[in-house]
Amino acid sequence: MSKKHTFRLVALLLVGATILGACGPAGPDTIKIGINAPLTGDIPKVGEGTKFAAEMWLADIEAAGGLEVGGKKYNVELVIEDNESKAESATKASTKLITQDEVLIIVGPQSSKQAVPAGGVANDNETPMVSPWSTNPNTTLDRPWVFRSCFLDPFQGPVAANFITEEFGFSKAAVLYDVASDYPKGLAEFFKAAWEDLHGAGSVAAFESFTTGDADFSSQLTNIINSGAEVIFTPQYYNEVALIVQQAHELGWDKPIVGSDSWGSAETVELCGADCYGLFFSTHYAAAGATGATKAFIDRYEAEHGYVPDDVGALTWDTMLIVQEAIQGCGEVSGELEKDRQCVRDALARIKDFDGITGKMTFTEEGDPIKCAVIVRISEAGEFEFYKSACP
Amino acid sequence: MIFFQNLVNALQLGSFYALIALGYSMVYGVLMLFNFAHGDVFMVGAYIGFLVSTGLLTLANLGAVALPTWLILALTIILAMFLTSFVGMLVERVGYRPLRGAPRASAAISGLMIGIFLETFVLWLGGPKRRSFPALIESTTYELGGVIVTNKKIVIVLVSMLLMLALHLFVRRTKWGMAMRAMAYDYVVVPLMGVPLNTIAALTFGLGSALAAAAGVFFGIAYPVLDPYMGIRYGWKAFVAAILGGRGSVLGAALAGFMLGFIEIFVAWIFPSTWRDLIAYSIILLILTLRPHGFFGEPYSAQLRL
Amino acid sequence: MGVESGAIPVKAGRMGSLVSKARAWYSGVPLLGWLLGVLVAVALEHILGRRVARALGMSKEPVLFGFVTMLRDPALLPSAVLYVLLIYLLPIAAVARLTAQLTNRLAATLLSLSSGVSSAVHLGLIYGALHLWSDLSDYRLLLVRLTLIAIMVTLSLNLVNGYMGEFSCSHPGFMALGAYTASVFTVILFVDDRVFGAPLLALPPLLGQFVFPIALILGGVVAALGALLVAVPSFRTRGDYLAIVSLAFMFIVKSLIENLEIVGGPRGLQGQPDWANLPTVFLWAVACIWIINNFVRSTLGKALNAVRDGEMAANAMTVDTRRTKMVAFLFAAFWAGVAGGLFAHVLRYVNPGTFDLKKLAEVLAMVYLGGLNSVMGSIVGAVGFNLLSEALRPLQIIKWMIIPVLLILVMIFRPTGLIAFREFDVQELIRPKGEPQQH
Repeated sequence: MSKKHTFRLVALLLVGATILGACGPAGPDTIKIGINAPLTGDIPKVGEGTKFAAEMWLADIEAAGGLEVGGKKYNVELVIEDNESKAESATKASTKLITQDEVLIIVGPQSSKQAVPAGGVANDNETPMVSPWSTNPNTTLDRPWVFRSCFLDPFQGPVAANFITEEFGFSKAAVLYDVASDYPKGLAEFFKAAWEDLHGAGSVAAFESFTTGDADFSSQLTNIINSGAEVIFTPQYYNEVALIVQQAHELGWDKPIVGSDSWGSAETVELCGADCYGLFFSTHYAAAGATGATKAFIDRYEAEHGYVPDDVGALTWDTMLIVQEAIQGCGEVSGELEKDRQCVRDALARIKDFDGITGKMTFTEEGDPIKCAVIVRISEAGEFEFYKSACP
Repeated sequence: MIFFQNLVNALQLGSFYALIALGYSMVYGVLMLFNFAHGDVFMVGAYIGFLVSTGLLTLANLGAVALPTWLILALTIILAMFLTSFVGMLVERVGYRPLRGAPRASAAISGLMIGIFLETFVLWLGGPKRRSFPALIESTTYELGGVIVTNKKIVIVLVSMLLMLALHLFVRRTKWGMAMRAMAYDYVVVPLMGVPLNTIAALTFGLGSALAAAAGVFFGIAYPVLDPYMGIRYGWKAFVAAILGGRGSVLGAALAGFMLGFIEIFVAWIFPSTWRDLIAYSIILLILTLRPHGFFGEPYSAQLRL
Repeated sequence: MGVESGAIPVKAGRMGSLVSKARAWYSGVPLLGWLLGVLVAVALEHILGRRVARALGMSKEPVLFGFVTMLRDPALLPSAVLYVLLIYLLPIAAVARLTAQLTNRLAATLLSLSSGVSSAVHLGLIYGALHLWSDLSDYRLLLVRLTLIAIMVTLSLNLVNGYMGEFSCSHPGFMALGAYTASVFTVILFVDDRVFGAPLLALPPLLGQFVFPIALILGGVVAALGALLVAVPSFRTRGDYLAIVSLAFMFIVKSLIENLEIVGGPRGLQGQPDWANLPTVFLWAVACIWIINNFVRSTLGKALNAVRDGEMAANAMTVDTRRTKMVAFLFAAFWAGVAGGLFAHVLRYVNPGTFDLKKLAEVLAMVYLGGLNSVMGSIVGAVGFNLLSEALRPLQIIKWMIIPVLLILVMIFRPTGLIAFREFDVQELIRPKGEPQQH
């Protein structure tokens, strides 16, 4: 074995590779879309809903033989990355999607904890990103490349406060929320501000909190019951909703409990059972009694996956369609990533009155949609019935 | 009145911490090891309880067997405890026995990793859906002079205390218990006296896991939402309670578990609940500063270190 | 002490003879030679990587030595392997061997000048390779920076859990303190943001690089002050009280930040200036490794080991055990704080949820994977864990079943970690390897 041999071998292989390399693939025929979703971690169900909705959309595209842009059909590839429900991991995932997989656009992350930092990455790298579910104002603030397809917390808080005032005529409310999670905390504060605007200072009789992962709320609920509040507003995720409602009833609470869009999951009723019947929450869309495209989506999702889609699923579906419209609105896919991304971003910003299953959407300057919220009542059959809608 | 209401609340929360803490405390007492997989064994116990009770309820509904609900409850607790004790012994066999001669912290890390594995495994097997634990006790509410108590709470607190008493008697009165105490006294020399180290270790893990399973089933009854990551938070908190109780003291761990429950509930009552964790753990820091060996722990002499 | 002492016994037979032959063949290659090889390989990737990848049927260079490519599309496995062979392994092997004579002479010359100069040249080569490698993709750049930070955290925790032999759980808390302190400092002074308003000092961006160390050191100091809070009750007696005191401390820090509305509460703090670039992070990581390595080899470091092996004996030998433990613990916390500050400026966003029990499990895993009581071990642990964790990303949920199993296996077969209880001797590392096995 001699040095010469090795050297020759290396040289040969390299030269060969170089020659071969000269004839690489030319022109794109695939459009890549990145999905940044929490498949593991605290909220795997959200990740699953995202994935399923995106895959349903992809199935449609594939059935049509590809995505047609400017008269040419392109294959679509979804690059799904798990962000483990961690901020840091979401940043890595988005960076990888943008620079490594060279996706045209990113859908997700869903919760604001990941969407805020990942939005920064997308904006810095000039890649359009649409978060279907992040309601924190910071996600899109001063970020021309970042959009979302849901309404914001500063809108939802007053919606809930107005609804309770009009519907029940109460003037003393209590709030129970997770202090360690940005979504419930933000919404709880917006609700408190809106409520105090309506009923004066001190009208929020109890403002109680717990920490993510807690299952026992007895102490907080005891405080609320003894505060003289007439209603509990609890902007929590579905698993906590079941526990809060049941424990409140066990502690003797028989007044209304009102929630927010995070209740909008089939699991809420499954976990909570009869305890939740008759309660109201504000959300993006109502599954029961839906018609048209919304019904078609719900039925198809249910047939494929065995349960009524969560809000996240519906919002992701809308987001995929918005993305599709933006790409098609672009007119062509040149293969130059920078140019295409810019074009898709501009097309996104131009979208007017997009008719989604969660409502009509038009983006503001900040990339936030102007859309209506609906108040949903959980029926005695455990279905989410449309009760009324509240528009900005 | 609010005081008594919160006392009832704290008793229920404390009984979970106490039951889980016992498992930590026994392993810590007998083998001087941290069993960081224990929180997840608790989670597995809850899932096993879920499977057993759902299975039994389905059978009962089909009319295959005539089982009253109380019997299903009893069977669920016993079967879950029995099955989970094997999970515990498996954890010992896989993660701890091969590391008998290794530094203590290495065993703790392999336990931590087994915990992560268990979480992911359950997530992978069961899917991301959270599970609703069947209502094995028809909820009835009693009001005693303004304090509201449910029958669930009474059953949970009483049975938990019975289990703790049983463990205490087992450790104090039986030959096996004596072997465990001897091992806790000196696990280098005692095996030389013919006490089978591996059997005792397996027994310790098994017993601790059985108690964790009971905690899991009760947890499912009290807070009927199960998810694969539920063991992390409760596990680490019970770990704090176990050490707070003092090394290897059954009574101490149980008491510290209840105390942790009391601290959390009463802090949330008296102070703004947003500051609960901060104040509750500051109190624990303070207690440890004043009583560095926990409630019932002996001060350390020269002991084997890492 | 030779390189062989910790090596895994190789199966005898053809394979074994081949391996030992290769080992003998390469035993004369100094570190300088290997680094040169790596640099050449990375440069090669810069020039030819894209073309080779295309030729092999991949759209671009595999980002992490082909692992991600293989797992995502198993059909590309041969291409990925071939790519790694062509671009990395063969050039490194060839350059290292072919230039062995030259690099040995060079290493000897450098060492005769001074070991400082030699170390600097080695570091320069390492930086060059990292720079070129991460230049190809922002993802690599992010990964390299986060890994360097992970090395700092791991090393500082190793100081407590390895060198001192205690079990501390508060490192995520120290990181959080450092991250928030440094962020608040830079954001208030230099950034026009919504929380704190206009910057107090509108310094030109160039100056920022010089102010950044102050922010980081401030973060480290605050973390060390936090450590004092843990150390005072914990080190009064022996025992495992540090474990829960530090755990309680971690919960307290997280709860405190969640309640501090001024720094964003659970929403987190964003908008940190983009100062934690690769050279900055690299320099800090090198400084951290160098200082900690000197610390553990100093009298104080030896005293620390003595405390671990027998506190009473150490006490009898006039070691002030309490003071030693305090100093080491605060020192470790300081570096964790600095690492936290860098972390916040790499992500340019922090939230309290990042520094939770999951982070703790991750940091502990890195320390024990790499090896206790070993600087090299911490580097290997942090790099190994981060690479593994990124390489297995395409497996999604299965990843978190594979990583624990791997770590359990490491614990069973090498209970103290991969490279434990080994001194990190720079002199030994950078010396020329003239004739094989000559001592």
